[in-house]
Amino acid sequence: MSQETMPLVADTVTKHDEPAWMIDKRRAAMDQMPTLKMPRVQRFDYRYWQMMPSTEIHWQSSSASLAQSDLDTTTAKADDQQISIVQVGQTTTQVKLPAELGQQGVLVMDLFDAMREYPELVKPHLMTNVIKTNETKLTSYHMAMLTSGIFVYVPRGVAVNQPIEAHIIQDSTKTDHPLISHVLIVAEAGSEFAFTQHLSTVGEAANIANCFVEIDAAEDSRVRFSSLDAFGPKTVTYFERRGLAANHANIDWAVGLLNDGNTIGNIDTNLLGEGAETDSKMIAITDGTARMGINNGVTNRGKHSVGNILQRGVLLGRSQLVFNGIGDIIHGASGAKAEQENRLLMMSNEARGNANPILLIDENDVLAGHAASVGQVDQQQLYYLMSRGIDRQQAQRLVIRGFLGVVLSAIPAKTVRQELITTIERKLTDEN
Amino acid sequence: MSTLEVKDLHVEVQDGESGAVKEILKGVNLSMSTGEIHAIMGPNGTGKSTLSETIMGQSAYHVTQGDILLDGNSILDMPVDERARRGLFLAMQYPAEIPGVTNAEFLRAAINARRPKDDQISVMSFLKELDKNLDLLDMNEAMPERYLNEGFSGGEKKRNEILQLLMIKPAFALLDEIDSGLDIDALQVVAKGVNSMRGDNFGALIITHYQRLLNYIKPDVVHVMMGGRIVKTGGADLALKLEDEGYAGLRDEFGLDVDLVDEN
Ligand SMILES: Nc1ncnc2c1ncn2[C@@H]1O[C@H](COP(=O)(O)OP(=O)(O)O)[C@@H](O)[C@H]1O
Ligand SMILES: [Mg+2]
Repeated sequence: MSQETMPLVADTVTKHDEPAWMIDKRRAAMDQMPTLKMPRVQRFDYRYWQMMPSTEIHWQSSSASLAQSDLDTTTAKADDQQISIVQVGQTTTQVKLPAELGQQGVLVMDLFDAMREYPELVKPHLMTNVIKTNETKLTSYHMAMLTSGIFVYVPRGVAVNQPIEAHIIQDSTKTDHPLISHVLIVAEAGSEFAFTQHLSTVGEAANIANCFVEIDAAEDSRVRFSSLDAFGPKTVTYFERRGLAANHANIDWAVGLLNDGNTIGNIDTNLLGEGAETDSKMIAITDGTARMGINNGVTNRGKHSVGNILQRGVLLGRSQLVFNGIGDIIHGASGAKAEQENRLLMMSNEARGNANPILLIDENDVLAGHAASVGQVDQQQLYYLMSRGIDRQQAQRLVIRGFLGVVLSAIPAKTVRQELITTIERKLTDEN
Repeated sequence: MSTLEVKDLHVEVQDGESGAVKEILKGVNLSMSTGEIHAIMGPNGTGKSTLSETIMGQSAYHVTQGDILLDGNSILDMPVDERARRGLFLAMQYPAEIPGVTNAEFLRAAINARRPKDDQISVMSFLKELDKNLDLLDMNEAMPERYLNEGFSGGEKKRNEILQLLMIKPAFALLDEIDSGLDIDALQVVAKGVNSMRGDNFGALIITHYQRLLNYIKPDVVHVMMGGRIVKTGGADLALKLEDEGYAGLRDEFGLDVDLVDEN
């Protein structure tokens, strides 16, 4: 397919005024696509999903007004310290960055603008160190077809006190309009900040979402990433969220996967540096007939690196959820620690769930542990709550909240936590 | 005035491991009204918890004969939550732990569950009531924000049951071994809580192994239960007599054919 589509790619991106290196990168990605395999999610079959609907780029703008309902609920408390970026489809509709941060060199902006204005910052980081275009068919598809993105850059030693909030709204008021989005986060040495993203869908059309996040964390930096994924029922999602942590860098993930539609995804932190750390927390809820297959991994390469994975999933209806916790300890990572806990709660007899710890350990001097379980609602807890007059449905919701509690309470941003709770309650109420 | 009547109640449970069905309650009769405090004393393994759990509606206990009436109406077909909303409360011997749900949130949900949708308790009056009761029970102010019973000591759990009792204000409270594992100070606090509920609109059934608690909560009526039946009913002095003579003495006096697990 690359033979016919390559000129199309070149043509459309020239019109988009992209730098030559970007066009080359796209072309190379397109060329290598046929030789690559689809990404693997253990114990999860998505063979028949259409993940690459089109190999033509269509540039289309979306109206800012489509963002309104999403923003009303989440950023009502706007103040002049707020840092936020809003994208609808391929269009960046809003950017807020306090002037002082701008003066310190902090960047929060549209990725394509950044390619033109700050190529020296974007080029060395975009799909080079953290995620490589030649990993799988879908990583190269992503690079070739990329049509929206956000660039976040925090210079050496800068601590940003407010979270950087991104709203990425898939525009499914249009048909044949895939969301192919890339969040590139560059944390220079000693920087510290939190990034929060909200993913949602407007419109009823069936479209894919192919969303990548790369976090390149230089030594001693600390990045706290949170995400609330809430794409619509007709969206088929593939995400990659990857971090690369240098010496003593710290990347924390707190992810709430509440997509209504089919989803595959991969979260992974490469603890390259000595003493690098990651804490990866995830909650997923599946309902209806949705199917979700998630890899959550940590690679310990650096000596004394520490990786923790904590996942909780709740299955409703006839849904399917697979959690693979992948711990990879590379030879030489002495003193490394890797812990993971994956638990699923089945709320329905018709749901299917799998929690698989996968440990690959090639070093003796390590501490590694894992726990996994798939279980039903605790009847004792349910009885206790009901014996106080609380009806069965609400009692179930509380027990589920309790089950998710260890992850919920560990999510640092209170607003994200509250939003997550609200969305979870809505999903559980809808179910009943 | 409300009434709670247990009539010729026979209850079976199925053993979790062996699957064998055995009859635990063999015809219990009991009748009480609000305004009264009753106590049930009896040796371990005699069916006291079975009685209280069956009244509350725990589904593991199967009623094979007899009835339980609240204000003259059978509650046997009602689920647990409905019985609770109709006025029953069971302070459990082993309360469940629910991480992720705070005490405060749970209490509000429980209070609101028995109020109409358009008349939920206001945050202000809830907090006022909560503060008052925390004070009465000598409980830590941090308690409401802790997760429900999670990591609570035995004594904290018992106090927390009483806190719920004070907040929910049921018509009838069944208190199952609320004294077990408590030191004398904690026992007095728990008793203070229960005594503060005393009045025309409140009745309690206090289940205990020992007489000690009844020094602090004076019962109007004392029942002795052995071998799945109530074998004797009397006034507060019956508890004292039991304390002196032990269950074995009473058993021999009545010529009962029951095994006592712990002869005391
Ligand atoms: N849920 C249950 N499953 C199986 N056996 C039970 C259960 N509950 C109680 N029993 C049995 O019933 C008998 C009475 O127990 P219980 O009511 O707890 O007595 P008490 O509270 O007087 O100590 C005991 O032999 C106990 O093992
Ligand atoms: Mg008992």
